[in-house]
Amino acid sequence: MRWGMVIDLKRCVGCQTCTIACKQENGLPAGTVWRFVADVEVGEYPNVRRLFLPMQCMHCAEPPCVPVCPTGASRQREDGIVWVRYDDCVGCGYCAMACPYHARHLVHEADGYFAQPTPSELAQAHPERHGVMTKCTFCKDRVDEGLARGLTPGVDPEATPMCSVACIADAIVFGDLDNPESRVSKMIAEGRAQLLMPECGTEPRVYYLVD
Amino acid sequence: MATVEMRRPVELIPAGQQGLWGWPAVLNFALGGLGAGLYVVAAAAAGFGRSAAVIAASWIGPALVLAGFVAVATEAGRPFRGPRVLTRGRTSWMSRELLIGGAFVVLAVADLAFPLPLFRVLGVLAALVLALAQGFIVRRARGITAWSVSLMPTLFLLSALLSGSGLYLLIEVGEGPRPGVFVIAMVALLAVGLAAWMRYVGWSSEPAFVRAVEPLARGRGARLIVGAGYIAPFLLVALGFVVPALVGPALAVAGVLMVGAQFYAKALLILAAGQFRPVTLAGLRIQRFVGEIPHGVRSPSSQRRSS
Repeated sequence: MRWGMVIDLKRCVGCQTCTIACKQENGLPAGTVWRFVADVEVGEYPNVRRLFLPMQCMHCAEPPCVPVCPTGASRQREDGIVWVRYDDCVGCGYCAMACPYHARHLVHEADGYFAQPTPSELAQAHPERHGVMTKCTFCKDRVDEGLARGLTPGVDPEATPMCSVACIADAIVFGDLDNPESRVSKMIAEGRAQLLMPECGTEPRVYYLVD
Repeated sequence: MATVEMRRPVELIPAGQQGLWGWPAVLNFALGGLGAGLYVVAAAAAGFGRSAAVIAASWIGPALVLAGFVAVATEAGRPFRGPRVLTRGRTSWMSRELLIGGAFVVLAVADLAFPLPLFRVLGVLAALVLALAQGFIVRRARGITAWSVSLMPTLFLLSALLSGSGLYLLIEVGEGPRPGVFVIAMVALLAVGLAAWMRYVGWSSEPAFVRAVEPLARGRGARLIVGAGYIAPFLLVALGFVVPALVGPALAVAGVLMVGAQFYAKALLILAAGQFRPVTLAGLRIQRFVGEIPHGVRSPSSQRRSS
């Protein structure tokens, strides 16, 4: 079992719903997002193209962020999910330097949007994440709980990462790359899926359908 | 409309300056290299002897390395978890740096307290590996275009030896004229260091790399690093040979310049050249407008010219 994503850039409309859904699901503080959608214009008038590029942790098969970690906080599960054990992280930032995809975020102090934290911010506070590295986790808690209940991540919304669930255009597809019958495997098998910066040698597990 | 595939990967998200490693990291790399380099140079000059310079290097070197570690700890998000950094020596160069740095401190102090050749030899080895480890830390930062270069460990080693040589000159300045062999070796080191530095700044023609190293390769950065750090010391050594009465002051100034320039180079490398790799996509297709632009439709540039 190896989790991955396929993102169809021809479906993505740049609404940032995935960004906000992730932020809400994970209780991220002000100024912190674990994923974003870049609004990019390419080319020169009159030959231009606008595309929206969702970016998050690629959960690489050969993650450069894991071996550089001096405490072992940055680790990879057998199913491919790369995550950070917050209690072990010293907040050195080395993993962020090793990541070519701008996927890691160190939050020293969790500021609220107002002078005093709102009830929502208090309810979603994560003090264990202060001063340590944070990143997209493929909503591993949702995935694990869903599997425990017999659900299928990528098919059943309760077991699927929130970005994929929330996407209004069905542009973000999550699933098991080792299952040839999964939707992600079929999309990759069509031959149009490509990786971002494969020359970095990280073997990302998020694919993009560009054309 | 025709469809054109872009020949080169298209930059979708531009390079951005890293903001996690600041002056504390610079101090760690600079002081650690300086302390390690000083010990190696002093030991090389003294052999197994107990010169005043090697005695001074045996406590100044470890003090500088420890100061660097303390400095970088202030930048960590959870500094009191620092001992955990010792646990991943098998995979992480940051762990290895702390382990070998600690070994160096112990061996240098042991060399001071118990003058055994074994401590001197092991201390020198530890210092050399410490300098290399710092280079490997930077080398493995695959997200930073200008750092993930195979030459980086060599650059850090040479930087350590150069700055250590400069500090050694300052320590020895009151002792009188330098042995010729040491100065000749230092000149050779300057030549090798300059060659390595020039190779580094010209390492790649990729636009992202060229942009990242521009502060090092052009303008004030180039003048200070190359001019003050390599060429001026060489000229000052030559002056000392030509005018023996000036050898002391000339070598002292050369020492200051070598220490300062290597510090400056590391600062620029971390603070200015530390740009995250741009995110690019290969094989992007753009529809190409074929034919005349319809009447009344003007390009943004022509609109700006007329307004």
